[in-house]
Amino acid sequence: MITVDRLTKTYGGFTAVDDVSFACQPGRVTGFLGPNGAGKTTTMRVMVGLTPATHGQVTIGGLKYHDIPNPGRHVGSLLDASAQHAGRTGREILTLGAQTMGLPKDRVDEMLALVGLTETEAKRRLRNYSLGMRQRLGIAHALLGDPAVLILDEPANGLDPAGIRWMRGLLKGYADRGGTVLLSSHLLHEVEQIADEMILIGHGRIVAQGDRNTLLSNAEGATTTLVTSLDNQTFSEALTKAGYVVDPVGEGLRVHATSEQVGRAALEAGAVLTDLRSGGAGLEDLFLELTSTTQRDAVPGGPVHEHMPALPPMPPVDSPTAPTGGPHA
Amino acid sequence: MSTASMVPPATLDVASTPRTPFVRLVQVEWRKMVDTRSGFWLLTITAGLLALVMALIVLVVGLNDFQVDARGISQGMTIPVSLLLPVFAILIVTSEWSQRTALTSFTLEPHRSRVVLAKLVAVTTLAVCTIAVAFVLGALTNVLCAAVTGNPLEWNLDGSELVWLVIQQMLFFAMGFAFGMLLLNTPGAIAIYYVIALMLPLMVWGTLYAIFDWAKDVLPWVDLGFAMAPLSTGADPLGRPVDVEAVTYVQTAFTALVWVGVPVALGMWRILRAEVK
Repeated sequence: MITVDRLTKTYGGFTAVDDVSFACQPGRVTGFLGPNGAGKTTTMRVMVGLTPATHGQVTIGGLKYHDIPNPGRHVGSLLDASAQHAGRTGREILTLGAQTMGLPKDRVDEMLALVGLTETEAKRRLRNYSLGMRQRLGIAHALLGDPAVLILDEPANGLDPAGIRWMRGLLKGYADRGGTVLLSSHLLHEVEQIADEMILIGHGRIVAQGDRNTLLSNAEGATTTLVTSLDNQTFSEALTKAGYVVDPVGEGLRVHATSEQVGRAALEAGAVLTDLRSGGAGLEDLFLELTSTTQRDAVPGGPVHEHMPALPPMPPVDSPTAPTGGPHA
Repeated sequence: MSTASMVPPATLDVASTPRTPFVRLVQVEWRKMVDTRSGFWLLTITAGLLALVMALIVLVVGLNDFQVDARGISQGMTIPVSLLLPVFAILIVTSEWSQRTALTSFTLEPHRSRVVLAKLVAVTTLAVCTIAVAFVLGALTNVLCAAVTGNPLEWNLDGSELVWLVIQQMLFFAMGFAFGMLLLNTPGAIAIYYVIALMLPLMVWGTLYAIFDWAKDVLPWVDLGFAMAPLSTGADPLGRPVDVEAVTYVQTAFTALVWVGVPVALGMWRILRAEVK
């Protein structure tokens, strides 16, 4: 439904998005993951025509955004929940949207009820809204026109845990009814529970994409297993005899074999296991590994499976210092 | 999602949604002008100033038994109109940037020139309404003055002058709009507008015009107000009656092009290709 085709966006010498291609299917939630400044927002802004692409293009349902008549009725977007007039009430902001799209007035009440903004809250001006309330209002605005496609940039930002759970349910139900959802986040756990498909982006390039299992099976170290038995010494010898490479790690062993192979070896050797798990990097390690290509961003120790890894220094925010569109008043 | 099926279509059914009618865009822009506190107060203060000017004229005329005519009143009433209304024209453009609502406006209508045009129509309608109100109040003032002083009513306002006065107001108004488009910054656009439209003509051009002969030739090519003075007041900027010559029209067109046409074109170019943040 959303097709990004070899999209590149440069700002002078800085490349914010570098030859990015991917597609979002209807009926699925696509998670767009990457650290700060990876190019997620820029890609989404190109999708809705706010930022011109340097090369490549984005089509939604086969059309360029510019060519969709009354686009709010087809594509709901939330790019920045705070980008609304601070002096307007929540209700007024939705009313303006509904009026532009030619929707009946009661649509505003429906949406306010859907996102859980009360009548009193809807009468307050946006400057008095918390980030979570702005986010809810933004989601309501995106859903106003009953669109087939949702493009949400960091929608969970500022939502409380209950709000995040609510949003997950909302988007899941939306995709189940045939909608296309693209949501971005820099927080993996926010996305992995809801996304059917994940696209990992770092430094403007797509570094991996696929569903959870595909991503994990391609990860480095996916074919090693961590195992602990009551007698590691004996079990280690048995494994070596069976032809597997074994390294002692912490209180257990790292075996270059699949969990199933190690389990069978334990059965044959009659070893009692107290722990058996995949030695592949978790999704989070994978995410960090893939998206950090420079030394300063790298997590010390590589894929983290030491028992207490040293705390990595806070990676610097490598946000693009992009020229702004105009002076801000 | 009314058409839920097992295999959802990967295209959009755009046949059911015609493109947003222009009238609706204008209505939305009109609503945006008056639904904020700044919009509300700007309108209220303009109305207050109109009433104040009206009251002052009646008071002064009543106390001094001073003869006043429609021409003088019309020039008095344009002051509040020309003072604050252009701020509306500036704000309607720049607030989209300072408040970052352009993000929503241009997402809901990606044809940005339509949004800008809708703004221009909305704010022009407001200007016409305000001028009409000012005109009615001015006529009322004239009647009141005559009643207070017992002097005969003077309706000496030349029809053509009135039309040109309205055109002049609209051009200044468009100038504010143009500066808003060009700078996309509220304080900057308001400051530059007041310098060019009010301060320079009053404090600099006026002095030069009164002292130097060359200024009388040059300034009508520089300032819109000086260029249009013979058309809208029937007099030169010093108040001496003059006849309208062909060159006056050329000067009017030229200054309008420089102060309205060029900034509008540049501003539109900027808005169309700007990255909306």
